[in-house]
Amino acid sequence: MTTRKPFFLWRHLNKLRWLSLSLVFAMLILLPCLHVYQTYVAAHAYDLLAPSEKQFYDVMESLTVPFIDDPAEDLDVVKGNTWSGNFWGLKLSDPLAVLGQMAAGLSLYWPFILTALIPVLVTMLFGRVFCGWICPANFLYELNSNVAAWLQWAGLRTGVRRFDRRIKYAVLGLGLVLSVFSGSILVAAIYPPAIVGRELYYAIAQGGFGVGMVFFVATLLFDLLVARRGFCRYLCPGGALYSLLGRYHPVRMRRLVENCNDCRKCNAVCEFALAPMTDGFGQECTNCTACIAVCPTDALTFDIRLFDHPEQGPGHLGRRYRREQEEPDNPPSEEAA
Amino acid sequence: MRRRGAVQTLAAGAALLAGGVLPYGLSTILAPGRAVAERNYLRPPGAPLDDDAFVAACIGCGLCGEVCPPRCIFFHTRDGGGEVNTPYVDAGKRGCTLCGKCMEVCPTSALSIVPRNEINMGLAHIDRTACYPWVDRGICGACATICPLGAKAISFEFANIYRPVVRKGCVGCGLCVEVCPHPSTPIWIDPSARAINTASEA
Repeated sequence: MTTRKPFFLWRHLNKLRWLSLSLVFAMLILLPCLHVYQTYVAAHAYDLLAPSEKQFYDVMESLTVPFIDDPAEDLDVVKGNTWSGNFWGLKLSDPLAVLGQMAAGLSLYWPFILTALIPVLVTMLFGRVFCGWICPANFLYELNSNVAAWLQWAGLRTGVRRFDRRIKYAVLGLGLVLSVFSGSILVAAIYPPAIVGRELYYAIAQGGFGVGMVFFVATLLFDLLVARRGFCRYLCPGGALYSLLGRYHPVRMRRLVENCNDCRKCNAVCEFALAPMTDGFGQECTNCTACIAVCPTDALTFDIRLFDHPEQGPGHLGRRYRREQEEPDNPPSEEAA
Repeated sequence: MRRRGAVQTLAAGAALLAGGVLPYGLSTILAPGRAVAERNYLRPPGAPLDDDAFVAACIGCGLCGEVCPPRCIFFHTRDGGGEVNTPYVDAGKRGCTLCGKCMEVCPTSALSIVPRNEINMGLAHIDRTACYPWVDRGICGACATICPLGAKAISFEFANIYRPVVRKGCVGCGLCVEVCPHPSTPIWIDPSARAINTASEA
């Protein structure tokens, strides 16, 4: 059997993902700034601005002037955050926002439900890609786990506890049930991407962080001190919803057992502590492609199938597989092709 | 041993859930219901009459605030209990210019598009024992001058060109409150008058 190689560009998808995460985060900072600039423009009172405000105005003007004619109107084409946004007339919302609103109001409002259609379809195709590629909280959480790695390098202990992954489904269910009883969308209060999006807006355009920031800092500390990426893996209601929606996503990761040498780097790099080396991806996998980027033998690639490949045994470049081949008395763990 | 492990996991899960809903619980206890002042605290234009329906429909995305040209829409960031992250207009700080951008951008049924004349955010009230022209302490007319709806919303008393009187056409945008020069702002918007507004129109 010929050894297959993954398409060479897939090794670089992880860089593209970091670009995407940084762009989303930068937009969440830029859009409120542009909004403040627009209000200065609409007020027609440049001369009445404070010196610092004038400086801000000039910076924003120089940033936007190559692209637009009328800041008060033209900058309205992109507004919002990952919770709900408006891109050139296309309204997109988080599926959790739609579900939460349906629970809180106990009613269906179709124009709003349809705004979650594209995210739902993308999730059904690619799985939890929102978590890995877009979520602004994930950007901060991944930086946070880098901090944890530095702390470990410095000899400090960080959180390595493990809990049951299914807790987050209970959080989702309980949040929706409580939303029904309280009549307000409670899941929004504990959903990190929504919190990050609106807290950045509050900090820039509303004069200070709100109460959600306290909760977000608490989740950062939880990730750092209790469980690595614990909030996303065990508690996030949105992650639970995306996992359920993407349970049978056809585009999923796959290990090429012929190329694998059992080095375990993929398991170490996986933010969600999945087990790429033993074919354990599942509905939690965000297709973040960090394991493809780290694999030294090109043993990880994309595949089109509805379920994960059943466990394929030790990698063919590894010592264990060779030993099993050389000693036919020892029955191999599986009949690897 | 395994059973104990399961119990521990359950206990830890329950504790984490309790921690997760703690912010809401605390905010509800610390600021129950309408902790905010009634006066001048308005919902953005196009909000349903029933405030509970508004809170249930609003997802707190902040889009209405982000398109507002005068930046008059603020959010309950630290107060408001169950209303946390919902928008309000504080007419004492800044009035609404009735541009309608927030109604257009709102993705949910929280703000529905209504014509400018039928917006219903409240009703202006004038304290005739404080307003400068009404107590003969000078001439003013700032509120009537700024009003975007003109004489059908606020105009002057018969035979006096400076004493303002609120008319039926007032939609409660709050621009008059913003410009009122009196330190105690004898003009204010009463959001609880929205039901009366609707009844008089019908």
